[in-house]
Amino acid sequence: MGIAQTAATIRAVSSGLLKGTRPMWHNQAIPHEADFSLNGNLSELERLAAEVTRFCRESSLDEDAEFHLNLVLEELFVNTVRHGGCEGMQNSARVRLLAAAGGVEVEFADRGLPFDPTAVPPANIHAPLDERRIGGLGIHLVRSLMRDVHYRRTGDWNQMSMILRNL
Amino acid sequence: MIQLTEETRAGWHVVGVRGRLDADSADQVENTLRAAIGKHAKVAADFAALDYISSAGLRAVIQAARAAQDKNVEFAICSLSKNVKKVFDMSGLHQILNVQGELPC
Repeated sequence: MGIAQTAATIRAVSSGLLKGTRPMWHNQAIPHEADFSLNGNLSELERLAAEVTRFCRESSLDEDAEFHLNLVLEELFVNTVRHGGCEGMQNSARVRLLAAAGGVEVEFADRGLPFDPTAVPPANIHAPLDERRIGGLGIHLVRSLMRDVHYRRTGDWNQMSMILRNL
Repeated sequence: MIQLTEETRAGWHVVGVRGRLDADSADQVENTLRAAIGKHAKVAADFAALDYISSAGLRAVIQAARAAQDKNVEFAICSLSKNVKKVFDMSGLHQILNVQGELPC
């Protein structure tokens, strides 16, 4: 392990992201991080997908993990642009990903209107075509793919943290 | 990035959808499917080369299916890839849409 990687590991540990996990000096256990901002424009979805792909490659995560992370982050991001008032806002969202020993941790923050996705009632995925409400599907997918989903409002930011399920 | 192709064969109008059906491309796909449904009695969406779909993409498919129902048009969604099938299953859509393993023609 090089000095730069060691320093990155120490930073990750001291930032509290690895709470409850012990650093292990083995290649597999080197935590990989991604940290990027998105502007409030749907054209950013392409960059979001590219960032997720890069993170998954560097962390040796499989295609399922990549697909699930992409889907979850699109749902959260699109929601802020369409309904949260983030359309046209520079750096309206911030994404942090960490591949740690206990799983892939995801933090998603946005400067949109206060919105707690964990308070949304479950979608009815058994309704017939005529009665199917489309609104809740995105949050339903997030809940299906992620565990330990937490929300808090801090200043101007909605902040969510969650962990990718092993499906 | 989305690529759409259209062709008519054996009485079916086939709309091929390739790439990512996300919030950025959903309108284009919905418009193409609805236009096809407005002109043909049997429309098949070929999803064999579609490797990603989000809820915005599902919405486009649901809206097209509703339009088909209103117009009495036969509308089949065919050849889902593994990832796309997973999202359909998680959303319960395979129960309310005409999802086929293969193209009907």
